[in-house]
Order: sequence, then C-alpha cells, then structure tokens
Amino acid sequence: MTPLDHLLLLSALTVVVMLLIGNRQAAGWTATVLYAAQGVALLLMSGLGYGTTAAIESAVTFQVLEQALHWRFDALSWFFALITIGAALLSSWFSAGEWAQAYRRRGGSLRIFHSALALNVFSMLVLLASGDLLSLFIGWELVSWASFLIMALGGATANRYALRYLSYAFAGAMAVLGGLALVYSLVGSFQFQALKAAVPSMDSASLWLLFALFGAGFGVKMALLPFHLWQAKAYAETPGPGAAFLGAISSRMGLFAIAIVLVQLIGIARLVDMPVPFSFLSARDLLSWIAVFTIILPTFTALRQHDARRLLAWHGIGQGGYMLLGLLIADDLGSAGGLMHVFNHATYQAMLFMSVVAVIHRTGTSDLNQLGGLVARMPLSFVAMLIGIIGLAGLPPMNGFVSKWLVYRSLILDGSPLLFLGAVIGTLGTILSVYKLIHNTFLGQLRLEHEHIEEAPLSMILPMMILSAVVFITGYFPGLVLDWVAAAQTSIGLPPLAHHLGGVATEKGGLDMIWIVSILLAGFAVGTLVFFSGNRHKRVHQLDNYAGGHFLTAETRYQYSDNFYPGLMHLIGPWYRKSFRWFERGLVSVVDTVSLAMQGLYRPVHPSFYLLVVVVSALSWAVTQ
Amino acid sequence: MDTGLILYTAAFGLIVIGSAGIVLSTHLVRIIFGIALLEAGANLLLLLATYREGSPAPIIVNGHIPATMADPVPQALVLTAIVIGVGILALALSLALRVQRAYGTLDLREVRQRLDQDIADEAGIDLPTSGDAPQAVMSRQEGRA
Amino acid sequence: MNNLVLLVALPLITAFLLPVINRVSAFAGRWSGPLILLITSVLGISLWSQLGDSAVAVELGGFRPPLGITLYADQMAILFAVAASLGTLLLWPNGGADPVRQSTLALILAASGSGLALSGDLFNIYVFYELVAVVSYGLIAGKATSGSYAATMRYLVVSSFGAAMALTGIALVYQATGTLNLAQLAQLAPTQLNNIQGLAAFVLMLIGFGVKAELFPVNTWVPEVYATAPTRISALLAGVVSKLALLIIVRLLVLVFHQPEALTVMLVLGIMGVVSGELAAWRARDFKRMLAFSSIGQLGIMFIAFSIPGKAGVFAGLAVALHHLVVKPALFLLAERWSGSISKLAGAAKTSPLAAGLFVLLALSLIGVPPLPGFWAKLLVLVELSQQAQALYYLGAFVILAGAALEANYLFRVASRFYLTEKGQTAPATHRMPELATASLLCAALAGSVLMLTPLAEQIEDIASQAADAAHYIQTVNPETLP
Repeated sequence: MTPLDHLLLLSALTVVVMLLIGNRQAAGWTATVLYAAQGVALLLMSGLGYGTTAAIESAVTFQVLEQALHWRFDALSWFFALITIGAALLSSWFSAGEWAQAYRRRGGSLRIFHSALALNVFSMLVLLASGDLLSLFIGWELVSWASFLIMALGGATANRYALRYLSYAFAGAMAVLGGLALVYSLVGSFQFQALKAAVPSMDSASLWLLFALFGAGFGVKMALLPFHLWQAKAYAETPGPGAAFLGAISSRMGLFAIAIVLVQLIGIARLVDMPVPFSFLSARDLLSWIAVFTIILPTFTALRQHDARRLLAWHGIGQGGYMLLGLLIADDLGSAGGLMHVFNHATYQAMLFMSVVAVIHRTGTSDLNQLGGLVARMPLSFVAMLIGIIGLAGLPPMNGFVSKWLVYRSLILDGSPLLFLGAVIGTLGTILSVYKLIHNTFLGQLRLEHEHIEEAPLSMILPMMILSAVVFITGYFPGLVLDWVAAAQTSIGLPPLAHHLGGVATEKGGLDMIWIVSILLAGFAVGTLVFFSGNRHKRVHQLDNYAGGHFLTAETRYQYSDNFYPGLMHLIGPWYRKSFRWFERGLVSVVDTVSLAMQGLYRPVHPSFYLLVVVVSALSWAVTQ
Repeated sequence: MDTGLILYTAAFGLIVIGSAGIVLSTHLVRIIFGIALLEAGANLLLLLATYREGSPAPIIVNGHIPATMADPVPQALVLTAIVIGVGILALALSLALRVQRAYGTLDLREVRQRLDQDIADEAGIDLPTSGDAPQAVMSRQEGRA
Repeated sequence: MNNLVLLVALPLITAFLLPVINRVSAFAGRWSGPLILLITSVLGISLWSQLGDSAVAVELGGFRPPLGITLYADQMAILFAVAASLGTLLLWPNGGADPVRQSTLALILAASGSGLALSGDLFNIYVFYELVAVVSYGLIAGKATSGSYAATMRYLVVSSFGAAMALTGIALVYQATGTLNLAQLAQLAPTQLNNIQGLAAFVLMLIGFGVKAELFPVNTWVPEVYATAPTRISALLAGVVSKLALLIIVRLLVLVFHQPEALTVMLVLGIMGVVSGELAAWRARDFKRMLAFSSIGQLGIMFIAFSIPGKAGVFAGLAVALHHLVVKPALFLLAERWSGSISKLAGAAKTSPLAAGLFVLLALSLIGVPPLPGFWAKLLVLVELSQQAQALYYLGAFVILAGAALEANYLFRVASRFYLTEKGQTAPATHRMPELATASLLCAALAGSVLMLTPLAEQIEDIASQAADAAHYIQTVNPETLP
C-alpha cells in the first residue's frame, strides 16, 4: 500500500460512507471530515509538489487483454488533486449546514447528492492517477458519468441539460476511444512511454488524426469551441454546492488530459511542425485560436445572461481558454500561467458560485433582474463576491492577476500579438459582465421583498471567507502556488518557472506581487485616511437618491438592473448571438433526418423486397469480382 | 438439347419466378405460392447437383453394385427439404387464415398498415406518419380521434 | 460421447411426449420441460469440463461422412448449445393462451438450437435452422393477438425466402464439391470453392442465415416481431437465436469460405446494420422497438467484428456476442412491464427501483462504459479493427464509435426519465418476480464478470483460437484424410 493507495481508498470509502449514511443530518459534516482526511493523505505526498520527480506508483495493477493498467501520481496529478480535494472539502462544508435542510425540504435526496459529489472526487482522482492511456480513458469515462450524475439531480430542467451534456461528453469520449485505437494500431501499446517514443516517427496524417481525435475528445470536457454549448446550462442547474465544485475543477480534467497527451506525449514542438493545409497556421496556432475564441465568445455570452449562475458558468468556459492558451505556448512563463490559472480560477469560481448560492438560499432566486441592493443585508457574501470578481477580472491584488499576467507576458514574448489582443478583449468582457453580476445582486436599491433577509448562515460564510483568504494570500504571495506549478511543469517536460515567494524573476521580465500589493494597499490606506480624516463624507441611506429629477418613494424603487448594457448589446449583440447554435442544431437535424429515413427503411410494405435486392446486387458484385 | 441444361434452366427459372412472385405480389396467398415455387426450384437445383444422365437409382439389388449410380445424398436431402417445405407451407396458410380473420384482408399493404397501427396502439404512441401518407391512414386516424 | 446426442435428443423427445405427460399429470407437464432443460444444461457443462481443449466429433449411426451425419463439439459449439438450453430455461415461456403448446415449442427450440450449434454438416444445419424458424413462428404467434399473427406472417415470408436462398447456396456448394460435411468442405474449399461459385454460395447462405442473425437489410422483421411477440420470446430471439445463426456464418467463414470478398460483404452489411439500427433506435418512441433496433445495431457490431480475418476476428466477435447474449435478454425482461411509450415511463424508479437500477447497469454495459464487460468487448473490437490495413475497417470502427454515442443518448434519455416524477402521471406497474429475478441473475453474471475479466478473456481467446483453427476441425472429424 503506497500513499496513493491510501488516498484512493479513502476516497472510495467516502463514496461508500455517503451511500450508507448520506441521508443523516450529519452526513455533510462527515463528508467534510472525510475530504479533510483525503487532503491529509494528499499532503503526505506533498514532496510531489516540491520537486520530487519520482512518481508515486499505486500497488494496484491489472492485466486485462494483455494490456497493463497502472496508476501513479506525479506533480501534475498532485497539483490537480489538491484543487479537486480542496474544492470538494469546501463545497461539502458549504452544503453541510442549512443548505442541506433546505435541499431536503425541496425534495432532493441528500444521499444521492453527497454520494454523487464523493463519486466525482473519486473518479477525478482515478483519472489524475492514470498511468497509461487505457487507465486515462477509464478515468475519463468515470469522470464523465459522475458529472452526469450530479448534474441530473436538479429536476426536470437540469435533467434535460444533463442529457445534453451526456451527448457531448460521450461523443467526446468516443473520439478519445477512437484515438486510443489509432494509437494502438500505430504503436502497439497503450503505455505513455511507447507513444512518446513513437511520435517522432509518425507520419503527419496519422498525427493530425490523433491530434483531432484527442483534441476534440478532451476539448468537449473543457468546453472548447464549438463544443461549448452544453456547459453553462448544465453547471448552472446543478444543485448549489455541486455547481461550485464542478465550476471549480470539473472541466479542468480536460486540460489535464490535454497536458498529458498533447503536451507531454506528443509535444508542443511537434504540433508547431504540423502545418494546417492551405494556410500559414500550425496545429498549435489552430488550437490557440480556438482557445482565444473560447475566451471571447463565451465571455461575451456571459454578458447577456440574466441568471447569476449561468453568467458564472459561461465565464468558467472562457477562463478555460486562458489556461489552454498558456499551456500551448509551452515556455516557462506561459505554461506556468496556464497551470496556475487552474488553481486561481478554482478558488474564485467556487467562491463566486457559493456567494450566488447563498443569495439563492436567502432570496430564492438567482435572476439578476429580481435582485439588487443586497449588500445591506448580506455584507459578507458581498465581500466574498467582490474579492471573487476582482480575481475573475484578473486585477491585482488577487491571484487571478498573476496567472493572467504570466499568460499575457509570454504571449507578447512569443510574438503573438493577435492572440494577446484576443485575450485582452476577453478580459474586457469579463470586467463588464462581473460588474453586472455584483451590481445587479448587491448594489442598487434593495427590493421590497428582500427587506427582511438575513446574512447567509455561518456554514456558508466560512468556506467563502476561507476562499477569500486563499485568493488574497496567493495573490500576495504567488510563490506559494508557483512552487507546485513549477513541479507540475517539470513533470510534463516543460521548463520550470524560476520564481520566488513574491512572483517571478526571469530575464524575460519579473513580477513581485509583494511590492505591488503592498503599494496598492498603502495607496488604499492613504485614500481611506484622506476620506475619513477630511470628515467630508456623509452616510446616506440606500434609498436616499433620485433619478431624472424625480424623487423616488420607498414604494417605487429604481432598478437599473433590467436590460443591462443596452447600448453595448445593440452594438455587438448581433455579431455573436446564437453563435455556434447552428452547429448543434444542424447536427441534430442531420441525425434526425437520417434516422427518419432509417426508420422508414424498417417499415417496408414488402418484407422480402430488400432480401431480393441485396441477393441480386451481392451476387452481381460477387460475379464481377 | 442437353437434358441437364434444360433441367438447370428449369431450376433457375423456378427460383426466379418464385422470387418475382414473392416480391411483386401483394396478396399473401400468392406470396406463399411464390415461396413454394422458390423452394421447388432450390430443391431441383440440389437434386441436379450430382445428376448424371442415365445412371440408375442408387439401390443395391442382390448385392450387385452398379458401376455408375446417382448420388444418393442429395436425394435424401431433397426429401427432407420437401417435407420441411410442406410443413412451412401448411403453417403459412394457417397463419394467412388467422390474418384474414383478424384483419379481414390478405393484402400485404393493408396488413402492414394494420400491424403498424396495432403496434402503435399497444405502445400508446402515435403512428409515425408523414404529411404525404396515404389517405387511408389519415382518415383512419381522424376517425379514431 | 453419446451425451452429445442427448443434448439434442432429450429435449426433442420430451417435447413430443409433453402433451401425453400433461394429460397424465398437469404438474409433471408443467415442470418436466424446465427439468429436462436443466439436465441438458448440466450435461452440456459437464461435457465442457470433460473436453477441455480437445474437440470431439460423433458420427451418428456409425456412418462415415459424406453419407453419415456428424455432430461436432468444440468449446464454441458446446458453449452455444448450453446457451440455447440455459437461455430457454431462463426465458421459459410462462403463461400464454396454451401453456403446453408453448412449452413443447420451447423445448424443440432448445433442441434444435443445440443441434444447430453442434451440427458438423451443412444440410443438418439447414434442417435445424428451419426447425428453429418454424418453432419461433409458433412461439411468436403464441400471443394470439392480431398483431402477432400479422408479424409472424411477415416474418415467415422473409425467413422462408431466406431459407430458400440458403438452400440454393447449399446446392451450389454440393454441386462444386459433392459433399456437405463441413470437415470435408474445409479440405476441398481451397481448391474447389475458391471461385465465383463459392462466393455466390457464401453470399446466398450469408443472406439466408442472416435473416435470423438480424443481418441488414433482411432484418426488417425485427422491430415488428419484437414489438408484438411475448417479451420472453423476443428476449430469446434477440439474445440466443440470433447468436446461433451468427455462429453458423462464422463456422462457414472459418472453414469453407476464405475469400476476402466474403469478409467485405459481411463488413459492409455489418456497418449498414450499425448505422441503420442505432439511428432508428434513436428515433424509436416505444421501449420494445428501441431495444429491437438497438439489437440490430449490436448484431451489426458482431458482423463487423467477425469480418476481421483470422483468430482475432473470432475472438473479438465472440466477446461482443457473449456480452450481448447476457445483456439483451435482461433488457427485454425489464421491458415486460415497461412496454409502450417511453414518455409513460416517468417515475418508474419509484415503483420498481431495482429494475431501474438494473436498467442503468445494463445500459452502461451496452454502450461500453469501463470497467463493465461491454467496454472491454468493444475495446477489443476497436483494437483489432485498427490493425487492419483496409480503410473499410476504419469506417467500421468509426461507425461503432458513433453508434455508441447515439446509444448513450437514447438509452439515457430513458434512464433519466425513470428518475423523474411528473405530476399527474401514473407510474408504470411494478415488475413481476420471475422477470425481475432472471434479470437480476443476468446482471449479477455481468457484474461478476468484471471481477474475473482476465480469466474470462483468456477463456474466450482459447475458444476463439480453437474455433478459428480449420485444420483442427478437419483433424477431429477425419483422423485419416479422405481421398
């Protein structure tokens, strides 16, 4: 039994325990404790995060159909596992208190919810531990189905979106399986080493096919364009803490697999050598542009959402683009930025979802047109969301700034100004839409029906506060995370980033967040001092304002929230509205039409007509052979 | 003309006529007759497989084994096949009788429509019809509604 | 090895005695059928363990081929003979308008199914095949509804047409070689059947036997019959009988027809089967017809797998076939109470949670989700397909993958409906005990096989390498070579 076995066993145990006692009142707390135990088991392997290069093998191996299946953890797996277990720990903590009671009152089964969450964690750990392509695929399928399970819990609507997810995910998995078969036909083995060794001698056509199959298969989970349509709705409809968990880490499994297969095994250098026919782009450029459009389109789609959860989920898709973009540059800065963004995004995305779920818990809605002014009633949730959106927008002093800086910097150094421009446009959309989120939820005037709302319960506030602290501290001292990132970079064969506690110090450019944040805080301090010392400030009531010269009474409250950004939408909306919907619709109608024809084929007037036709045609074919 | 050639032509002719009968006819009894013809053709073909002109039947008389004799195996086989064919013919005719009693028709097209309707009714779903379905189906559905 | 004969003879004799037995004692009449099938199953299994790796041939009545009739038992033959008896036992038709008649027919089905698997002689195969056909007409029509009569009638027309085609093919083979004994054919085939006539004979037999094996496009009877027949009979036809017909085709391919064109025909029709079956199932709106179409798709995968030349193809195809042999009957058993529109199945998990859980397990295995056996079978097929040189095989792999994606879609459209409760809708009826027990048993076998994947795979590979070895067949039947 190696430490990895302990971890996996603990995780499996969590699933079993949740199946047994998931309906009890204390189940959420038990799950939290068990996730904490998994975290401890993970920390026992913390050498991986600090430069131990030898992978930790699992003692369990299988020999099926003459294929060896084995599992191991390296620094990359460890890094992702840390995020996974952390997200699960806090989500389950968030769900343990009042939320669970409310969920049960609404008719949900806590047993299934907790088991589904535990199953997600377990399957992700199995995926992260995969030691060959076959175990990678097994883990991949497990993750897909576990996410389907947790997505489908939320009633009829959620079910519809979960099924849509399933169609995408399983088609993607089949693409991966096709890739696996191709690898086997080319290499004769499913082992990582064998594939890596065979890549240099592969011809361009098979490599393209491999690239397309794996890229599309893993891209579906990452919601890369044009396979992104499923994600936002499916995540948004997942029961609250589940959405926080999925939003934090689930789609990153696609990035993990891409990091393994495309970066570690095939190698970015090889992708650069593969020109796209009839163009001046290489395979890497193609994927980079897909990543950029994955940043831009979903982010601007988020702008149009009026449901807070969907807005966040659409953002999650866009942020995945940054990670992929960073990873594809494959230098020390860019890939570090991409990988670090996984961690950063997980922290604030989970926190934002939690904050939105806390609002839903109190008000019963996440419709941005039905909220407003909640800052007066839920100040701590407001703080969490504020910190979260600063991180999401990639502004200092939060951690999101560091990873985005790394990606931008390496894009410029790499000589890809257009990609850089695309990424910046995406950030612009992010800033606009996160402002919409916090404004419509917490700012403005409190609605009448929300007069008597209280702050979210402590069981929800505490995880948010912990995450806020993490977002801020890792923004202040990014070196904490960069240690793990550098180890992960080494494990997939990328140059590790030279870093220190405050940031990076390479000849290509340096960043010291300790200085930046300290100066920023000092500036804030001065501002605050000026603000308060001048004694010119006046405290006004939330309702003490007027619009267009009309005084507003307490009965008719002013809401700016409906139809946010009308001018902007008028300007840019037609450019991307329903983008790629045609892709899905077209595919479905093709299947629909062909299936109609096929069904018609099975309703012949004359049952033996086909028999004669096929006999005659096969015989005439046989004779001419 | 060679007897063998005539017989082969007859066998293939029977097969072709039988197949054509099965596929072209829409009356169940005619289709069944088509099957009978087809089987006769196949049997004849099998019998012809080792046909030798002028050779006696493979019967040993008084311990005397003829120098050339017809191959006994296909004859035994065809005998079996004929028996099976007759059995299936009887079964088919009795089934046709049942169908006639149930639906009041032996027309294949109508049988299929009634069968589709039966399956759809049992499953509790609408019959999958297209806009240009035959008038008969449409009117029946309207009558049902 | 007279036990071999008993596998066929015992149920056959009992079947003919059954009306008499029933007159003497209704109790004996009711139980003698299952009892005999249990005995033959046990006999078959003991034969399996006795034989081990060696095959055996029995000449009935002591006549040497080509005059005599040969029974040939290798592991594959016994496996499917046992599957025929055991399958009939598990899916024993209970109830119906005339239980004695149904029991008699079921016994004959088991006997002729075993005979089909064990025959070492082409004409014998034809006879048993026709027997299976006649018996299945009776069993389908046993529901005694107008729909079942019409469906049987239509099925009969296709099936007889196909059988006549197969007979024509047999005639062509006999014309070329002068024998119908498979071992002798295997000896003569390289010189005398490796030509257009042989190919034509194969095509005719493929299409003839393909009717029962749900080969595209001679499978138009499938949705009609499975929707109208008693559920257990549908399960038996889809699960067991289709595999027996497939077995014949595989035997012919291995022993007699070595032309690459023969494989190509099968591959093309298999691809079309997967495409048409899965697409039609995607559209189907009632449970039974969905299963019927999905069964066509699965059989298509088997045809694709068996069209891979050599031992690899037999291995992969056998794995898929055995998996389907377990899964499809279980699914049909669940359809007993869930027949009808899928939209009416909402809330089924509330009334029969076990059945819903079993359905999910079966569906997962059917679409090939690891670590369930269905995945390994599919992986095996894909791996073998990817090692072929012809582009058509890649198309086969693509079609299998795309079909699985569709399958996931429609099966889970149903599964997720089970777990939804809609207002104002009555949940479907709970399952009866016998169906549920049998389905659970099959599911337990499925889940259990996950644990012994490696020994099972080795065993199947063993069976496949024995079955794919034509020289071994010839040697077993005719130790001294014939002139």
